[in-house]
Amino acid sequence: MHIMEGFLPLEWAAFWWAVAIPCLVFGIYQLRRTLSADREALPLLGVTGGFIFILSSLKLPSVTGSCSHPTGTGLSAVCFGPFVTSVVCAIVLLFQSLFLAHGGLSTLGANIVSMGVVGPFAGWVVYRALRDTRVSLPLTIFLSCAIADLLTYVVTSLELALAYPAGVGGVVSSFVLFLGIFAITQVPLAIVEGIVLALVFKYIVSLKPEILVRLRVFPEEKIRAAGGGVQ
Amino acid sequence: MKKGYTLEILAVVAVVAFCGIFLYTSTLGGNAEFSGSDTVGSERVSELSGIPLEEFHPLIPQWEPPSGEVESGLFALQAAIGGIVVGWVFGYWKGQAAGNR
Repeated sequence: MHIMEGFLPLEWAAFWWAVAIPCLVFGIYQLRRTLSADREALPLLGVTGGFIFILSSLKLPSVTGSCSHPTGTGLSAVCFGPFVTSVVCAIVLLFQSLFLAHGGLSTLGANIVSMGVVGPFAGWVVYRALRDTRVSLPLTIFLSCAIADLLTYVVTSLELALAYPAGVGGVVSSFVLFLGIFAITQVPLAIVEGIVLALVFKYIVSLKPEILVRLRVFPEEKIRAAGGGVQ
Repeated sequence: MKKGYTLEILAVVAVVAFCGIFLYTSTLGGNAEFSGSDTVGSERVSELSGIPLEEFHPLIPQWEPPSGEVESGLFALQAAIGGIVVGWVFGYWKGQAAGNR
């Protein structure tokens, strides 16, 4: 999903930076507040952030004959909300743009918006909508993570389409063109990512249900139903 | 602990199916190159804008890994950092739970 350095015109690069920065500032504020209220949230942040590091480094071949990588942002969005996730993503993306030439410093803003803001936000919306319904916990996590992953690539397509409208059909037709590259490649990856992260969440629930209750990630009854014995 | 391993089985099936589909499609003999979708995206940008790929210059100078070897090493490093943190926390929680017993 990285837009490579130099592939966004200056004005669009600046625009996406302007969108990303307030989200990062708010994320850092939320992060400090959460951590100062409860130090035990730090290990949970480590696990959810760790999976963003792991999954976003795995470049997997997909059915369309090109490679792409999962994002892993869904878990963090569910546990801490989209803006804290933006901060973790910004760290990963900065690492990748400095050392791996995947994405660049001028396009970092656009990449933070797709992977760190809109993707996690979409996943978080799905989670909020399902949290207090009877939908089971693993299914909620699966859907949130898969949507967060997929939307990241939809936004990347949109960012490129806005900067490079097609001669015929304009933004819409180049959006469809980029969707064909990014989003379709991503569908199988998003499904596998959703299942794997639902499994990871099951282990978090069975090892440390208290922290999920304290952070009000899910209602206590739901965590019990998913196998977390809360003392 | 909830009994049953439905999720574990699902995860294994999904991963195996994913690999299976990859093996199947890659033996079909198409000209799939399995290059990164980032690269493919950049090629489309070049087609749409009519500017050749070589004409895109970084707005901000950028260090590039000198070879695929170095790049894969750095990617492995990134995954390792994540893996260490995840493993450490799960161990920490496991130890806490054992201490409470």
